[in-house]
Amino acid sequence: MKTKHEDKSGGTQSKRIHRREFLGTSARAAAAGAAITAFPAIVRAADPIRSVGLGVSVINEIQAQASRDLGFTVRGQALGYGAMFGKMLNQNDQYEVAEGYYNDMDVMWPAGVWQPIDTQRIRDWDKVTDLSKTGRLTPESNPGQGDAPFRHLWVDENGKYVEGPSRYVTMVPGWHNADSLGYNPDDTGRPIESWAELFSEDFKGAVALLNVPQIGVMDAALAVEGLGAYQFKDKGNMTREEIDFLIDFLIAKKEEGHFRAFWETFGQSVNLMVSGEVVLESMWSPAVTAIKAEGVPCVYASPKEGMRGWHGGCSISARATGKALDQAYEYINWWLDGWAGAFVARQGYYMSVPENVKKHLEPDEWDFWYEGKPAAKELPDPFGTIIVEKGEVRDGGSYWDRFSNIAVWNSLMDENDYLVKRWTEFLSA
Amino acid sequence: MERAIETRHRGLIGVQPAPPEAVVETAQRVRREAGFPVGWLIAPGVAWLILFLVVPLASIIVFSFWTSTGHGMTPDPTLRYYHEYFSSEGFFDPESKKFLEPGIFIRTLWSTFRFTLTVMFFCLLLGYPIAYFLAMQVHSFKWQMALFLLCMVPFWTSYLIRAVAWLPMLGRRGLLNDFLMSIGVIDKPSTVLLYSEFSYTMALVQLYVVLCVGPIFFSLAKIDKDILEAARDMGATSFQTFREIVAPLSLPGVAIGMIFIFVMIMGEFATAVVVYGGKTTTVGTVILNYYAVANYPFAAVNALMLMIAMMIGVVIILRIVDIRSQL
Repeated sequence: MKTKHEDKSGGTQSKRIHRREFLGTSARAAAAGAAITAFPAIVRAADPIRSVGLGVSVINEIQAQASRDLGFTVRGQALGYGAMFGKMLNQNDQYEVAEGYYNDMDVMWPAGVWQPIDTQRIRDWDKVTDLSKTGRLTPESNPGQGDAPFRHLWVDENGKYVEGPSRYVTMVPGWHNADSLGYNPDDTGRPIESWAELFSEDFKGAVALLNVPQIGVMDAALAVEGLGAYQFKDKGNMTREEIDFLIDFLIAKKEEGHFRAFWETFGQSVNLMVSGEVVLESMWSPAVTAIKAEGVPCVYASPKEGMRGWHGGCSISARATGKALDQAYEYINWWLDGWAGAFVARQGYYMSVPENVKKHLEPDEWDFWYEGKPAAKELPDPFGTIIVEKGEVRDGGSYWDRFSNIAVWNSLMDENDYLVKRWTEFLSA
Repeated sequence: MERAIETRHRGLIGVQPAPPEAVVETAQRVRREAGFPVGWLIAPGVAWLILFLVVPLASIIVFSFWTSTGHGMTPDPTLRYYHEYFSSEGFFDPESKKFLEPGIFIRTLWSTFRFTLTVMFFCLLLGYPIAYFLAMQVHSFKWQMALFLLCMVPFWTSYLIRAVAWLPMLGRRGLLNDFLMSIGVIDKPSTVLLYSEFSYTMALVQLYVVLCVGPIFFSLAKIDKDILEAARDMGATSFQTFREIVAPLSLPGVAIGMIFIFVMIMGEFATAVVVYGGKTTTVGTVILNYYAVANYPFAAVNALMLMIAMMIGVVIILRIVDIRSQL
């Protein structure tokens, strides 16, 4: 319609029509009784930025709040892991910000789909903890094996990896957590304190493992080490011989009927325990609250060998320039500012700038989620549902306890193809 | 032209007498007058197929010869991924425990194929009687349609929901276990009901059986009831009638139904996760796994091999039943 008018008449009239259309739109919005909220949205809709990631960080409420605070729209797209990976790698013209994970950096960075981020443009860069900068949250921490953020963080302005610290980074550290095993204490009859319990004869036929080869294999490796059956040089980057040993071990266990199932989605892991199919399984920590909400007791183990860590953050597409690039930086700065960190804290995740998160949490929440103290009162999840009873204690102690003993970080190994092949054999066995 | 008209008038049994001259003339006239260029009619469909079927297929073939860079691929031609697919360590080594054992990817293709055949068998075993009942035993057309639609009811919900619905049925604390325990058949919950080959087969049969009921029903419904009556009049037993008339005439439906099921289950990967607890691999999961680590050429090789296997399967089915001559 518009173009037709523009073709026929000169610029003046087309301008008038623009204005009339615009007034018409806002008048309709006013008539709908939404003038105050809708009007600025129309103006802003002109230049939104797009962000892709997993459901961990891309949640309607978070990007909506960012849009309100920043004055431009942030459109989030939450995908499953495979779809996210594919989109980040192959369609970097479809997003400005990638809410990705350090363990994918070996693929993403050499592919050149992201650009170096200038830390001088990150307002709270100095407040980002040493967990991601040096690998040591506290001076005596164990940095852990595998793709720890600090091993994939520092680059020069041309994007070449350098020994840190430097002015440029691949990804601004964001949300992170450490995973271990979840169990039903009524069914196990004893507390689970070692990864080795994953292979305990007592739980034969009632154990589940995560069916993502790269991660499942690490849980298994931690368990095999816990048994004392084998010592890996680097669980984050195994050799073929190490992979062979581990998979042969797993195949033998599978043939004995040790595993009840292999789960792929969060929901499956919850369902397996709620329905009583398994008593012990590799688990992501928010599953514990979901299982408890179903009235089934569940405890998140903090094994003596340490947990398996993972770390996400924000990267910027190599295609983002000009205003979109500025807005991407603004959005990343907003992530570190604390509101989003407080939001994900109520789901059990941690942020790279805890002191900002503290400002947006109630003291009781801070004490429970970060300090690992008993809850002084009932506490809600981000959506307001009460999920923590008074007096409850978070498993794994305080943030600093938990992250000073990471056994291994989620990783992409050099022998990844071989690993996937052998994992296929394991599942077919 | 004459032949065309003749075939058009071929009945279900043998060749009927040629139509009167006048009819043939009318038919020929009508044909000539309807001179709308057929090319234009099929153009959109052809364009669509070229764009969304031929081009992607061709790219899969091309990509399977490219080299993976770990984060994508470069057009360096290589046969590495085909070698990887077919090679098997220790295949020629009589000392090895893997002597004469094909590689994991071929074994996966074979197990997918074998499993598909099992499911097809059970689908036919269950689906044929259902279709037979609908077409032959229900005489009112209204009821036939009503019952046929009833068969389709499961399709009104999502595929995944139908698969997930088996969990509370077969689980350790599921309905079936509760029932078996209450009547004293077992004294503790059986674990073979769920996350087993049993549950996998059962779920797949339930999910796909309708796909063969439809075509079989239609080819049975097309059978002229007069023929059956004639057979009876000539003293054929009901088994003879079935063997000589009903079964051969329903073969096209059976073949189409089997092709549907075959193609669907060969590419299956989601059901195994839900009801088999991920304890098996299908070609579908292999493709997905390699796609997830950005090894696109190898995923392409697996996709190609799957396609070739499917094509062979479909050709075999079509060889057994000549659909063209019987439809």
